[in-house]
Amino acid sequence: MKKIFAIAWKDAIVRFASSSELLFFIILPLVFTFLLAGGTPKADGGDTRIRLVVVDQAETTISKNIIAELERSTAVRPEILSLEEAESQFDSRRASVVLILPAGLDLQAIQDRTAQVDFRQQPNNLNATVAERAVQTAIRQVSSAVNAANLAVNDAEKQKPFASEADRQSYFDASLKLAQSIQADAPERVTVIEGSTSFEVDYDPRANASAGQLVTWVFIPLFGISALFAYERQQGTLRRILTTPTSKATYLLGTIAGQVVMALIQMSLLILFSIFAMKLNWGRDLAALFIILTTAALAAGAIGTAMGTFIKTEGQASGLSIMLGMVMALLGGCWYPLELFPPVMQTIVKILPTTWAMQGLLDLVLRNGGLIQILPEAGVLLGFAAIFFLVGMLRFRYE
Amino acid sequence: MIKTFLIGIKDVRLAFRDRAALLLMLAAPFVLTVGLGLVTGRFGGNTGSGISDIPVIIVNLDQEQLGNALADVFNSAELADLLEPAIGSDPEAARQLIDEDKAAAVVIIPEGFTQSIIPQQSDLTAGNTITTDAVKIEVYANPARSTGAGIVKAIVDEFLSRVEEGRISKTTSILQLLMSQKITPQQAIAAGEAANAGVQDNAPDSLAIKINSSTAGGEAVKFDALAYIAPGMALMFLMYTVSYGGRSILAERAQGTLPRLLVSPTSPSQILGGKVFGIFLTGAAQMLILIGASSLLFQLKWGDSIGVILLVLAAVFGATGWGMIITALARTPGQVASIGTAIMLIFGIMGGSFINLEQMPPFVQTFSKITPNAWALDGFTTLALGGTLTDLSAPILALLAMGSILFLVSVALFGKKNLVQK
Repeated sequence: MKKIFAIAWKDAIVRFASSSELLFFIILPLVFTFLLAGGTPKADGGDTRIRLVVVDQAETTISKNIIAELERSTAVRPEILSLEEAESQFDSRRASVVLILPAGLDLQAIQDRTAQVDFRQQPNNLNATVAERAVQTAIRQVSSAVNAANLAVNDAEKQKPFASEADRQSYFDASLKLAQSIQADAPERVTVIEGSTSFEVDYDPRANASAGQLVTWVFIPLFGISALFAYERQQGTLRRILTTPTSKATYLLGTIAGQVVMALIQMSLLILFSIFAMKLNWGRDLAALFIILTTAALAAGAIGTAMGTFIKTEGQASGLSIMLGMVMALLGGCWYPLELFPPVMQTIVKILPTTWAMQGLLDLVLRNGGLIQILPEAGVLLGFAAIFFLVGMLRFRYE
Repeated sequence: MIKTFLIGIKDVRLAFRDRAALLLMLAAPFVLTVGLGLVTGRFGGNTGSGISDIPVIIVNLDQEQLGNALADVFNSAELADLLEPAIGSDPEAARQLIDEDKAAAVVIIPEGFTQSIIPQQSDLTAGNTITTDAVKIEVYANPARSTGAGIVKAIVDEFLSRVEEGRISKTTSILQLLMSQKITPQQAIAAGEAANAGVQDNAPDSLAIKINSSTAGGEAVKFDALAYIAPGMALMFLMYTVSYGGRSILAERAQGTLPRLLVSPTSPSQILGGKVFGIFLTGAAQMLILIGASSLLFQLKWGDSIGVILLVLAAVFGATGWGMIITALARTPGQVASIGTAIMLIFGIMGGSFINLEQMPPFVQTFSKITPNAWALDGFTTLALGGTLTDLSAPILALLAMGSILFLVSVALFGKKNLVQK
């Protein structure tokens, strides 16, 4: 036991010999958690409506009403930009459609039939087809009463010309009032009912970022156990252990235990940050939390141990740890919700320990689960730990 | 000049012989690109090019003028690429298909829909502007396909707005004529019947506000999601390469080869120039290899080739500036490695390599301007969207300015003493 503690303590000293280790131990994980909590898609997938860039040069009641109608559209999402910015985005094809509401777009212009808007679209673009219909709908909503009054005046003129311009205007005003009244009384003619399609994306950007970054930043250094072996092998210190009455199991246990304890401290700090800074409820079932964190750390530590028996140099081990850690985190749903992956990928990624660690943590922080809910994930992670530790044990050589 | 060149070439060869470096220079960005391609479904046929063929089921129980007209809208040639309509007869069965995620939405046009809109004779003569109780069209939407369902609803809205405008126009006109005694009640009934016969066509031919529609020149371009992912990852690991190169300067100082070089007839500026040249060449080679590999293996179109090459060179120049400044500020190769990796990751997330910058908070978008990743990614996106060299002036100039400023600052920080001392 004393030997195990001594090996673990030695590894801690080696790891934190440089203060820059703190960057990876706590600073970067916090930065990433913070940024991803605010930057990943929202629970409902965000506003998925087609982006419609709108330039409001008119700034009249009519132009504002058109924009308000577009806001109500289920198909497009208006985004107000200056003409310069809109043209720049359109020219660089960042905007597929641009609607320009020019100066002078007001009630008088509609009555005089001189009102017009510019609609620019990229070639052969389906988004533009949808957006043009949405613009037509918005314009109709805003101008149909004026249009109706104009037509009423036309129809009246066909019956009998007006005696004066004042009569004509009076007829227009009365028609407009009537048309507005008819429009206001118009009943809703469509209803939307949301289907009960199974689409449960259990997702909260804060919870997913906290759990995901925790897994990412703990798995990478635990895979880095391989670099520790390579370093000691290159330095010759592993050979020296041969001369001491220390078994392979004791040495490996000491190394893994030390790294796992450091990982648990790191995870505890990250969890404390997310409890206090992000108001996440990690403390619902502390026993379950401890079990899932420990099994995840053991699995990652065992993989690092097994990797260490294959890799020769510290540089290779370090690079491979970063690469594997990032890829496994990505595929394990630590950066993007697993539910958004293609169905086949959701099945394939179950071979990764990061997937199980992430799901176990989400069971606790997102799905209000407890010990019973995380047992399957903890069991699988223990399985990973056992298999890779065995591989490491069998293949481990001091030289 | 030759010495500078030789030192640079020597560093490139060393970098590409180092298996550990190759892991992060080439393997990591490539594997992560593949990973992102897999999770975004890019390799499953989804190119991220936008909406098309939205499956929608039309259940027309009305079977009258307006119901048929709406069904025709969904089957129109104009919407053929956008929609994939199917006809249903049983509303419950159609809803079931939505619940099973087989379509984006069902549009159920109930019996009596037309009758509920077309005003009755008695309504017109009585001056009643409200028709019988509204019979509502039901859009049964699939929450898992919210974009498609939203578009279907918008098409229904557009149709109804046309019908409604026609109804308002004709009703207003007839009632106003009647109230101003320009026509008799009998004439009003006749006009109403005529209007009813073509109610869906009653909307004015042109909108009250004319839409001047124009289409940009050039060919249609479908954006490939991988065209954002691949450069994002390549640029992130470019930061590793430049810090790796910077590390070699301090490593040579620590190993004593740098002071030895300085006692030879080689000036510090030639050595530093050669080192920078080596970093630049290594970064450019890394980017071009990754671009070539993704073009060959994933048929990824990066866009205008001259634009791509110049943007790569500008991006590597900007990133090299960062590599030099890290090296100038650090004291040991280990510090360069740690700080370099940290900056690689921070610039990666803040420069848009992981998540589209538009989804980031505004302060991150502002901060991203100091990263070569953000500028270069902006340029690569422009190229992938069909832009050419002329559209790249802003990112290229920004990257060149970034590299120049950082290089000047790092030269000021590097003194001969600093280079020679262990």
